[in-house]
Amino acid sequence: MDNVTTDQAAIRPIDAPSAVVRRSPATALSARGEPFMWALGAALTIGIVMVIGFLLFVFWNGLVTFIPKPVAVVTLRSGAMVAGEPTRPELYRLSPDAIKALPPAEAAKVAVNGGYGHRTLYRIGNYDLYNEDFRWVSDHDVDKIDYPEEMVFIERLEWGVFVGRIRSVKIGDRDLANPTPKDPALVAAHKEARARWQTIRRIERDLIGRVNHDLEVLRLDVRRAEIKHGPASTQAEKARLAEAAQIPSLKSEYDRLTGEAVRLNSIAQLNTVTLADVTGKEKVLPLSSLVRFYPANNLSFFDKVSIYLSRWGEFLSAEPREANTEGGVLPAIFGTVAMTLLMVLVVAPMGVITALYLREYAKQGRLVSIVRISVNNLAGVPSIVYGVFGLGFFAYGIGAHIDDLFFPERLPAPTFGTGGILWSALTLALLTVPVVIVATEEALSAVPRSMREGSLACGASKWQTIKNIVLPRAMPGIMTGIILAMARGAGEVAPLMLVGVVKLAPTLPFDGYFPFVHLERSFMHLGFHIYDVGFQSRNSEAGKPMVFVTTCLLIAVITFLNLAAIVIRSRLKRQFAGNQF
Amino acid sequence: MTDDGVQGHPSAIGSGEPTAAPRRPPRTTRRSVLFVDAVANWTITIGGLGVILAVFGIMIFLTAVVWPLFSGGHAVTQSQAKLEGAASDVLTELVDEYHTIVVSVERNGEVAINHLATGRLIKSRKFEIGKRKIASFARTLNGENVAIGFDDGTLRLGRIKIETTILKTSAVPAGLNELGRDDRTDGDAVYSVIDDDQVRRIAVSVDLDEPQQIAPEGVALVALDYRLGGAVERPTRSFVSIDANGAVRLSRLETKRSLLGGTRAQTTLNSIDLPSLPKGTEVASILMTSLADQLYVVEDAGNVFRYDTRDPQKPILAERTQLTPDGVGVTALGFLAGEQSIVVGGADGSVNVFFRLQRPGADTADGFALVKTHELERQPDAIVALAASPRSKSFITADANGNVWVRHATTDQTLLKLAAPGGAVTAVAIAPREDGVVAIGKNEAVWNWRIEMPHPETTFSSIFGKVWYEGYPEPGYTWQSSSATDTFEPKLSLVPLVFGTIKAAFYSLLFAIPIALCAAIYTSEFVGPGVRNIIKPTMEMMASLPSVVLGFIAALVLAPIVESWIAAIVLAVVVLPLSVFLGAYLWQFVPQNIALRVGGGSKMLFIGAVLVVGVILALNLAPWFESALFGGDFKAWANGDVGSSRPFMALLTWPVSFAILLFADARGFLPFMPGGGSSRQRDNALVDLGRWLAFLAGSLGLAWLLATALLTLGIDARGAVVNTYVQRNTFVVGFAMGFAVIPIMYTIAEDALTAVPEHLRAASLACGATPWQTAISIIVPTALSGIFAAVMVGLGRAVGETMIVVMAAGNTPVIDWNIFSGLRALSANIAVELPEAVKDGSLYRMLFLAALALFVMTFVINTLAEMVRLKFRKRAAQL
Repeated sequence: MDNVTTDQAAIRPIDAPSAVVRRSPATALSARGEPFMWALGAALTIGIVMVIGFLLFVFWNGLVTFIPKPVAVVTLRSGAMVAGEPTRPELYRLSPDAIKALPPAEAAKVAVNGGYGHRTLYRIGNYDLYNEDFRWVSDHDVDKIDYPEEMVFIERLEWGVFVGRIRSVKIGDRDLANPTPKDPALVAAHKEARARWQTIRRIERDLIGRVNHDLEVLRLDVRRAEIKHGPASTQAEKARLAEAAQIPSLKSEYDRLTGEAVRLNSIAQLNTVTLADVTGKEKVLPLSSLVRFYPANNLSFFDKVSIYLSRWGEFLSAEPREANTEGGVLPAIFGTVAMTLLMVLVVAPMGVITALYLREYAKQGRLVSIVRISVNNLAGVPSIVYGVFGLGFFAYGIGAHIDDLFFPERLPAPTFGTGGILWSALTLALLTVPVVIVATEEALSAVPRSMREGSLACGASKWQTIKNIVLPRAMPGIMTGIILAMARGAGEVAPLMLVGVVKLAPTLPFDGYFPFVHLERSFMHLGFHIYDVGFQSRNSEAGKPMVFVTTCLLIAVITFLNLAAIVIRSRLKRQFAGNQF
Repeated sequence: MTDDGVQGHPSAIGSGEPTAAPRRPPRTTRRSVLFVDAVANWTITIGGLGVILAVFGIMIFLTAVVWPLFSGGHAVTQSQAKLEGAASDVLTELVDEYHTIVVSVERNGEVAINHLATGRLIKSRKFEIGKRKIASFARTLNGENVAIGFDDGTLRLGRIKIETTILKTSAVPAGLNELGRDDRTDGDAVYSVIDDDQVRRIAVSVDLDEPQQIAPEGVALVALDYRLGGAVERPTRSFVSIDANGAVRLSRLETKRSLLGGTRAQTTLNSIDLPSLPKGTEVASILMTSLADQLYVVEDAGNVFRYDTRDPQKPILAERTQLTPDGVGVTALGFLAGEQSIVVGGADGSVNVFFRLQRPGADTADGFALVKTHELERQPDAIVALAASPRSKSFITADANGNVWVRHATTDQTLLKLAAPGGAVTAVAIAPREDGVVAIGKNEAVWNWRIEMPHPETTFSSIFGKVWYEGYPEPGYTWQSSSATDTFEPKLSLVPLVFGTIKAAFYSLLFAIPIALCAAIYTSEFVGPGVRNIIKPTMEMMASLPSVVLGFIAALVLAPIVESWIAAIVLAVVVLPLSVFLGAYLWQFVPQNIALRVGGGSKMLFIGAVLVVGVILALNLAPWFESALFGGDFKAWANGDVGSSRPFMALLTWPVSFAILLFADARGFLPFMPGGGSSRQRDNALVDLGRWLAFLAGSLGLAWLLATALLTLGIDARGAVVNTYVQRNTFVVGFAMGFAVIPIMYTIAEDALTAVPEHLRAASLACGATPWQTAISIIVPTALSGIFAAVMVGLGRAVGETMIVVMAAGNTPVIDWNIFSGLRALSANIAVELPEAVKDGSLYRMLFLAALALFVMTFVINTLAEMVRLKFRKRAAQL
C-alpha cells in the first residue's frame, strides 16, 4: 500500500509546479496522505489510551476499595435471602437450559438482549457458614432489594468478613441485647478487647519469642562448641554447663508469660458477641476477634471517611492476615524498601566505578566498545536469567560455603545457603547495573573535554579532576541512572521468586536481636504480594481488592521514583546549563 | 580539595618583579595526592574490570551448571577380585546400595554373599528347597522378591533382604576380621566405617514361603515371571508359569491380613489357564508387565507370543511377532523399570527396545502391537547378560567378549563402555543408585566399577529433538518434568518451551509493532514539540509499569472480559481501522483553510472520537456479527462445532486482497477507476471516498473468492491459528505484553526518527513535499535501521518477559499456533519450576539450560539491534 502512495507522492509535486504556480489542492489530496496519517494518529491514540486507561483503572480500583459500601439484602423469587455488598455487575450469556427455566417475561427480555442476561456479584462474606465469599445473583431471580439499617458489616480476624446483624453482646457478666454498632458500651468494650488482644499478641510473639530465641542461641552455642572442639572437649562441656545454668530461669520466664497469656485469654473469652446472618443463623465470637464493624447502610459522610482512612491506616501499618488477603502490607513495604536500598548500596558504586573505568581509564578502542555494547545488552537480558544465576551462584554457591564455614551448627537447615534479602539485593544489583553504567557513561561523556583539560592543565591529578570536576558535573546523570535502577529493581518480581521472596515472612530482616541486621532472612515484597494474593490464595476474588490496593501502592512507589529521576535530572541540568566553557 | 592539588605553581612566570631571592616552591607533587591518585587508579580499574568480568561470569556460570547434562557417564574406580566359592550356574546377582557385597543366587538354592572389593565369601545362606530341583527362576526388578519353580510343578516365593543399619562405633562387636581398608566382618554381616563414630552394618537374610502346586504333580515349571502389586497390607502377587507340557498359567496369590489379628493371614491362590501356544514352541523365557495385563513368551529363535490378559476371564493370545531378524537368536531379555519396555539382546550384538502401542489396523487380536522403538548401538559380540536399573530407563548389557556397556533406552545413548579384561561375563548387576556396575566372569572373577552418570536421560538430541517415550504413539517433543508416580520418566524437551516463547513473542509483536512504530512516526513527524513533550513521557511511563501488575490485570481482569466479549473484540479489529479510514476520508471534505489550522495534536482528538465511535459500533454490532459469521457462538465456532470458516477466512484475506487491488490500480490494470484531478477540493474528496469504498467492496469480493480457493485447497485458519478457546490464552498475553513492549519500541523508534538531521526534513519540505511525503519517503527510510533496532529490542523484551506469561498464559506446554490456547514459555517455566527443583538434579540443570537459552537468545537479538543502531547513528551523523 505504502509503495503506491510514495510513488505518486514522489512524482507529483515535481511535475505539478510547472503546470500550476500556486499549490493546487487537487494534487495535494493524495500527497497529504490523510488516511495514513489518521492511521498513525490512531495508533498513538490507542497507545495513550492504553497507558492512561490502565493507570486510571488501577488507581480507581485501588482507591475505591476501602470505601464502605452499603449492604443489600436481596430477596430472591425462590424466597431465599442473600445479603452482601454488591461488587460488580456483569453481562453474561445464559445457557439454553437456563433460558428454558425462566418465566416467559424474563425469557423474552433475555431474547431481546441476544441471549445475554445481567447479574451482580455480591460479597456475602460469612465463609464459615456458607463456604463461599461471593455469589452471583442474576437479575431475573431477584424479587426485591432492601437496604435495612441494622445490617452490619464486620471485619474479623478469621474467616473473612461477616455480613449480618448483631444479636447480643456479652461483656463480662453484662448482656446487651440487639445493640446498635454505635452503642457506646459496645464500642468501649470492643476497644478494650482489642487492646487486650494486642497485649496477648505482644506476649506471645515478642516476649515468648525472645525466650525462645535465647534458648535457641544457647543450643546453637553448645552445638558449635561440639562441632568445633569435639563433643567431649572442655569447651563443649562449658557450653553445656552455661546452657544448663540458664535454662531454668528461661523456663520459668516462659511459664510466667504463658500463664499471663492464658489468663488474658480467659478474660477475652468472657466478652463475646453473637452475630446472626440474614437468615438468622447465629455465630458466637469473642469480641476481640472483630477488627472493625459498622452499620453499612447507616453511615454519615464523616463515618465513611473515618472508616476509609482507618482502613488505609491498617493497610499501611499492619501485618497481613487471612493468607494475605486482608490486613496490611507493612512487612511487604518494609521488605521492598529494605531490599531496594540494599540494592542501591551495591549497585551505585559498582555502576559508577565501572562507568568511570570504561570512560576515563580504559584505553578507548575496539575492545572497550565491544564491552560497552555488551553491557548495554545486558540491560535487555531477561530478569529471570539473573534470578537463576542468583540462586545457583549466590545462594547455592557462595551461601552454601558461608554456611559450611560460619554456621555449621545450624546445618542442615541453611542460613545463607538459601534465598534471602542479601542475595536478592545482589541479584537485582547485577540486573540493574547496566542501567547505572549506561546512564553514568552518558553523563560522563557529556562533561566537556575542555573542562577536564583545564583541570589537568592547572596541574590537578587525574583523580582530582574526576572527583572535583567530572563527577559533580555528571551527578545529575548518575543520580538519574541510580533512581531508574531503583525503579526497575522495585518492580521486579520474577528473579526474587527464585532468590528469597516468600509469601509470609515470620520475621523482618531487621529486628532487636543481635546482630540486628539479618541479611540471610527471606522477606516479603509488594510485587510478589500481588502475585501471591492474586494467584495463590483460596479465592482470587476475595483477594482482588487487596491486590488492587497493593498494585496502586507499588505503581505509586515506582512512579514516584521515576518522577524523582526526571525532576532531579531537569533541576541539576538547569544548574549546569550555560555553565560550560 | 583542589587547593591541595598542585603546589608547584611557578609563581615566577611572567612576573618581572625583581625579587632578590625568589623562594622556589617545591617542584614535586605532594605524596598524598599521588597516593590517592594511584589508589583511585587501581580501585577503579580493578573494580571496573571486576564488574565487567562478573557480568560475563553469568554466562560462564550458567554454562558450567548446564555442562554435565551433556556428559554421559564415567567410571570413577575399577576393581577386580577373585570371587571365593563362585558357582558356575548363577541365577541372579544383587548388589547392595553401597557396593559392599554381591549376592549370588545359585541353581542349587545356595545364596552366596561375597565381599565385593576383595571377593571373600562372607557367608553362604540357603533357600531351604529340600530335595526338589530348581527348574525356573524369576525376580522383581529390585531383586528383593524371587519366585522359584521346581521340577515337581511346585512354586515357592521368597525374599532376599539386604538390611542396612547404622551403628555407633561403640556398638560394633569385637573380634572382627579385616576386609580391605574400611570393612570388617563377623562371618555374618559386613561392617563398614562411615566416619569417626558411625559404622554401617550390612547383612543379608533369605526366606522362602510354603510351596504352591501350580502345574500337575511332577511336571516341571520351565519358565516363570513374578510381579508384586497391591497395597502393603494386602499384597497381590502375580506370577505366570509355563510347565514342561507347554501349559501357560497366570496365577495370583492374594493375602488377606485381618485388620484385628495382625499376624494371621489368609492366602488364596487363583490360577487361570491361558490359550495354549502353538505346537513345537520352545519357550526360553516369559515376561509379565507390572499390572499382569500383558505376557510375553519368547523363544530362543526370537519369536514372541503376546497374551493380552487385561480381562483375566478372557485372556487372548493377541500377537505373534519376531524380535530379532531370522537366524539371529535372542540371547538376553528383560524389562526396563516400569515393566513396559522390553530390552532384547541378540546373538549378533544388537540391543533393541520394544513396547506395546495402540496400532489400529495392526494384524493383532486386540489392536495393539509390539513395536521396536529404540535401536541402540550394537555391541561387538553376542549379548549374554543384561540388568536394568530399578529407578530409570538405564540398563547394562554385557557381551560374550567381556564388554559391559551402560546404556539409556529413551535417549538411545551408550553412557559408558566398560571392559572386563580377560573375557566372558556370565552375569551383571547394577547398583540400586545407578552408581555401580558389577560383572561376574566365568573364571570366578568379579569386576566392580563405581560409575557416575548424573544425567542419563538428557542428551543434546533428547533436549532439542524428538524422543520416543514409553507408551507414546510416536516420537515427539514433550515437556513434563514431574508426576505423582514413582516409575515416571521425566520428559525434558526444551522445544515446547522455546516454541511457547516464540509464540508469545510473535503474537505480542503482531499487536505491538504496528502500534509502537506508527505512534512513533506520528509523534516525531506530525506533532508539535509541546504536545510531544507530554506524549513521550506518558508512553515511557508505561515502560515502568511492573510486569507483575500487567500479568495480574491480564489474567484476572482482562481474561474474563475478553472471554465474554471475544466476538466484539474480533469485530473491533475490523471496525476500528475501517472507522479511522472513513474518518480520514470524511476529513478530506473539511475545507483546507480550516484543516490546516488543526495540528497533529488536536487532530488526535478527532481520531479519538472516531475510535470511540468504532468501539461503540463494535460492541453493539457484536451479537449480529457473531451470529452472521460465527454461527452465533464464537467459542463453539473456534472449536469447530458450528458455522463455516469461510467468512473468517475472507476477513483474514481482506487486507491482502485490498493490497492486491491497490497494486493493480497503481500498475494501471484498473482503467475504469476514476482518478482525482478536479480543481475543487470537495469533488476530489468525494472521488477519493468513492474510490476507497469501491476498493473496499471489490477487495471484500476478492477476499471471498480467495477464501473459497484457500478452503478448497485445504488451507483453513480455523484449527490452526484459531482453535479451541481457553480463558488464559495467547491473545490476552499478546495484549498485555503489548504494554511491556510498546513503550520500548516506541521510545527507540521515536529517538531514531528524531535523530534524522533537521536539514533533510527542511529540504524535503522546501522542495514542495507534504509532511506526509517527507515522513514516508525521507525520514522513515533514513531512520529505518533505528526502527529495526527498536523492533529487535522489543523482541528481546517479549522473549524474556516472565510474570505476564506466568500469570496469563495458562502454562500448558503444547505446540500449536492457536491464538486462543495457552502456552508455556521458557521464562515462565523457570519461575514456576526452579523453586522446587532439587539442586544439581536433571531438572535443575535443564532449567539452567532454559535460562542460558534465554540469555543467548536475547543477547544475540540485542547485539544485532545495537550494532544496527550504532551504524544508523554513524550514518545519521554523516548526513
